[in-house]
Amino acid sequence: MLGYLLKRLIQMILVLWVVSVIVFLMMSFTGDPVFMVVPIDATDSEIAQARRLLGLDQSLPVQYWKFLSSIVQGDFGRSYVFRQPAMTLILERLPATVEMVLVAMGLAVLVAIPLGVYAGANPNGRLSRTIMAGSLLGISLPGFWVGMVLIYLFAVHWGIFPSSGRGDTGEIFGLRISLLTLDGWHHIALPAITLSLGTMAILLRMTRAGMMEVSRQDFMKFARAKGVPRKDVLYGHGLKNALIPVVTIFGLQLGDLIAFATITETIFSWPGMGKLLIDSIYRADRPVIVVYLMLVALIFVVINFIVDLVYTLIDPRISLK
Amino acid sequence: MKFLSRTALRAGAVGLAVLAATGAVAQEKSVTIGITADPSHLYPLAGEELSSNIMYYHLYDPLVKRTAELEFVPGLAESWENVDDTTWRFKLREGVTFHNGNAFTADDVVFTVNKAKESIRPDLVANIAEIRKIDDLTVEITTPAPYAVLPNDLAEVLILDEEYTTETGDEQMDLKPMGTGPYKLDEWIKEEKLVLSAFDDYWAGAPKIKQVTFRPITNPATRTAALLTGEVDVIQDLAVRDVERVRNEDGFEVITRPSLLNVVLAMDTRAKSPTIEGDNPMTDQRVREAIARAIDVDAINKIVMNGLATPSEQFVPASHTGYVEGMNFREMYPMDIEKAKALLAEAGYPDGFTMTLDATNNRYVNDAQIAQALASMLAKIGVTLNLNIMPKSNFWGYIRVPTENSSFIMSGWDVPAGDAGSMYGALFYTRDKREGYGQVNRGSYSNPELDKLIDAADSTPSLEKRDAILQDATKLLMADIPMIPLHYEQDIYGVRDGVTLVPRTDKFIWAYDMDVE
Repeated sequence: MLGYLLKRLIQMILVLWVVSVIVFLMMSFTGDPVFMVVPIDATDSEIAQARRLLGLDQSLPVQYWKFLSSIVQGDFGRSYVFRQPAMTLILERLPATVEMVLVAMGLAVLVAIPLGVYAGANPNGRLSRTIMAGSLLGISLPGFWVGMVLIYLFAVHWGIFPSSGRGDTGEIFGLRISLLTLDGWHHIALPAITLSLGTMAILLRMTRAGMMEVSRQDFMKFARAKGVPRKDVLYGHGLKNALIPVVTIFGLQLGDLIAFATITETIFSWPGMGKLLIDSIYRADRPVIVVYLMLVALIFVVINFIVDLVYTLIDPRISLK
Repeated sequence: MKFLSRTALRAGAVGLAVLAATGAVAQEKSVTIGITADPSHLYPLAGEELSSNIMYYHLYDPLVKRTAELEFVPGLAESWENVDDTTWRFKLREGVTFHNGNAFTADDVVFTVNKAKESIRPDLVANIAEIRKIDDLTVEITTPAPYAVLPNDLAEVLILDEEYTTETGDEQMDLKPMGTGPYKLDEWIKEEKLVLSAFDDYWAGAPKIKQVTFRPITNPATRTAALLTGEVDVIQDLAVRDVERVRNEDGFEVITRPSLLNVVLAMDTRAKSPTIEGDNPMTDQRVREAIARAIDVDAINKIVMNGLATPSEQFVPASHTGYVEGMNFREMYPMDIEKAKALLAEAGYPDGFTMTLDATNNRYVNDAQIAQALASMLAKIGVTLNLNIMPKSNFWGYIRVPTENSSFIMSGWDVPAGDAGSMYGALFYTRDKREGYGQVNRGSYSNPELDKLIDAADSTPSLEKRDAILQDATKLLMADIPMIPLHYEQDIYGVRDGVTLVPRTDKFIWAYDMDVE
């Protein structure tokens, strides 16, 4: 187990380093950040002054070296645009994104697993077919469209939910959390539903496929023959064995949504960090992009590690080496 | 009895007063404004973009105030006068305080100007050679050369509190601003909301609206939805496609006004141009005129801009110094394909030529579509345009002087300082001849006549003379056509009934001038 952890840690550092190199190289193609900061009619000396103040007057390798050496000291660099530490900019937006994603993922699991089990156990039922058709819709409909339709119907037309923003928040450990207030739940509902639909559909289909596969296995029939009630067979024996691929996908989706919930955030003007990434790309704000993508890589590595741990819980035959 | 009734009366009066007071509290005016983006800064020397500018003018004041209609009136300076051609004396307003109670004095002005020089925005004070404190409420500014529009420039220099700014430091100033402006910062939750509350000791009188909330809503359709659901009272940049919808809705109003942003086409005038094979035809004024005549600005307005653009008459709008009354580019060079072809033939290019148009796809309203429309219009006179369209983060570096990649560039230009001089100096003055001139001359235009006029304009202390000289420059440029002005974009706001909003020419929403019912 310790060896496994160590191996993972080394892998992670390698991944983070590769990400930083790639971003640094790519950013040399996305335009000169200085021109995003100075006025359009700036003179050469004004531009030179801005370049010096932003630390852009050095060559790329030197800039990269400085970046690496300050990371070791815990300094992740400063945004060219905001002139604030890049890490602070990201972290102050992180809670909003994470809570929206968690609600969305919770919603997706709550709906997808029971429906998937049902559809897998009764593949030919009419209700199963309706569920499957619905899931196809969930996969195919683009999020921005769903978001706009939800806003139009629930906010503009019926006035049940607010169209955008985060609403009141409560505070624990200095973090601002919407889920502590009723108004917060009121605001998070539409974006979370929008975000959950795609994942919900994928999880549902994975669960169904797994269940259909497992249902054909002998141990299922034995269990039934032994007299275990159908419900217990499905959820106890069946689901547990069908769950491995579902958990894998769940982990990947979770990382994906945290990193790239941008579209939903933009549509509902949810103050999360996805919008920061897009804005930073437009403004060629390299420090923010680098730190953001490194953080995302870290999140993926951690989630995958947790997924691996969950495997061993679901299926004791799997062990971490 | 008499006594009793009097007490009763008095009690009643007190009761009424209490009632009135609580009523007043309940009715305290507030407004919520949906803007297109969260501000990047609250510290004026940290950078410049629209959302930040809007916040700056709520929190801080300049010496000279720019009104909604681009007039320049006393702000923190009560009055000013020319001591000699290059020296200005500003008398400062007495009794002004910053939000923290510190008194505003000449030291703060001197500090701000010197601080700006070292900052990322030295351009703000480029025309100030030296600033001196005469006494607590007087400063003297020297310009490097006679410069008639110094007060206009000062409208963008927002005065900082020396003591507070030094203590707080540049980085924290962005989060904890401190100025003399009509509003102070209550709360700023990034990307969510920025709340300002009235500064009741404001020198020009306490603001009518006591609380202003700005909500950044990037997606245009969501902005419209937030207006229609009553979550916000005003939205900036109502999407063109939502204009009809909001107009037809009860209880809402659409307000439009032409912006200052002139979309222009710069033509290369070097003998050899990067994207043209052989000699550059555009060195010939007739070819430039032919291109101007091939462009149907009304069609672009109608088809690409949904009627929400204003065709440009000149390089600067009518409110600016240097604008020539009654002169109109569209009347001088109306669309005329036959005439354009004839001009091309006369210049020796009967079959036209091929070049590349560089344009953005995320900077101006429908910019990529305008570029496509231009390509089909110029095709009619045999000029083939290859389109090279890119996002703005690449664009500014790509087209930058010395413009080694471009022959034909579409970009925009606005001069909120209300004066054509800075634009002409930057865009049309011969390159590399004088520091601070011609730095954006992307077409490498060079005309000694024009240089002479700009030099003359920038060395007279008289505003009337400057206006007359710049008008001559306008006439010269309109005849020589180094650049084709297309149209001004329109600023579009959606407001709910009961909100009074007079849109400013410079687009800086200012709650101090607004009112709500």
